[in-house]
Amino acid sequence: MLVVNTETIPGYRIVALRGLVQGNTVRAKHLGRDIAAGLKNLVGGELRGYTELLTESRREAMQRMIAQAQQLGANAVVNVRFSTSAVTQGAAELYVYGTAVVVEPETPAASEAQPL
Amino acid sequence: MELIGLVCTAVTVLTPLVLALFVGSWIERRHLHALAQREALLGSMLVTDLRTFPQHEPGTPPPQMIVGEVVIGCDYFKAFLASWKLLFGGRVGSYQRVVDRARREAVLRVLEQARALGYNAVCNLRIESADVGGNTQQSRMPMSAVLAFGTAYMARQETTVPGWQPQSQAESLTRS
Repeated sequence: MLVVNTETIPGYRIVALRGLVQGNTVRAKHLGRDIAAGLKNLVGGELRGYTELLTESRREAMQRMIAQAQQLGANAVVNVRFSTSAVTQGAAELYVYGTAVVVEPETPAASEAQPL
Repeated sequence: MELIGLVCTAVTVLTPLVLALFVGSWIERRHLHALAQREALLGSMLVTDLRTFPQHEPGTPPPQMIVGEVVIGCDYFKAFLASWKLLFGGRVGSYQRVVDRARREAVLRVLEQARALGYNAVCNLRIESADVGGNTQQSRMPMSAVLAFGTAYMARQETTVPGWQPQSQAESLTRS
């Protein structure tokens, strides 16, 4: 699955559109993390617990989006965007959306190139 | 007895402040130093926020989206200072540095991941402020959460446009 946040993929041609796909997660930080982050906040610096929370929710949201794209028979998602919103105090939503498309390589050389 | 109470109160209020002042500023200085060093290593990368793929090399592995995120907290002393600043208005430099550090760190994580995967360019780099656990209404813990994402691809080596300007360098240019 090719995932990019641009409208096109160089070397590939979009042959079919499969529509908007999306994934979201709402995550609440738990008390343990809150306490640890509160202590860390005393001296500043990176709040690792919260960074991990953000990474986890981003991964999960993207997995949902990709699963949806696969269900629609797409092999790429283009123009991916993220957006976050606060649901209530203590819970945040991470929303990711993009357009599922079917792409095919323009040249035989491109079809041999594997994603890194 | 009253004196002892007063001393105890002063100690409980001042200890976190003094601790935050020294440890907090040490952490910030160390982070800024590390940021400058890491940015210098990535100087050869072609980084743009364009939606096209400048200098894309045909026949190279397909591009891939890369995400980087970071949450940086503001120390107690800075928050204390800023709470006074908020009464009078004006530039809140201490918060500005926190937001700036978070943004640079998130972008660096994207670029470092891209480089680790073997790419040499990133386009359509977007930087968004994220939200962890609905902190928007919560003022007691100022923090900055940043989500940066872009598409990594392979670019031709000869760069005709200047490569990525590390922010530290860009700043010194505008200042001089």
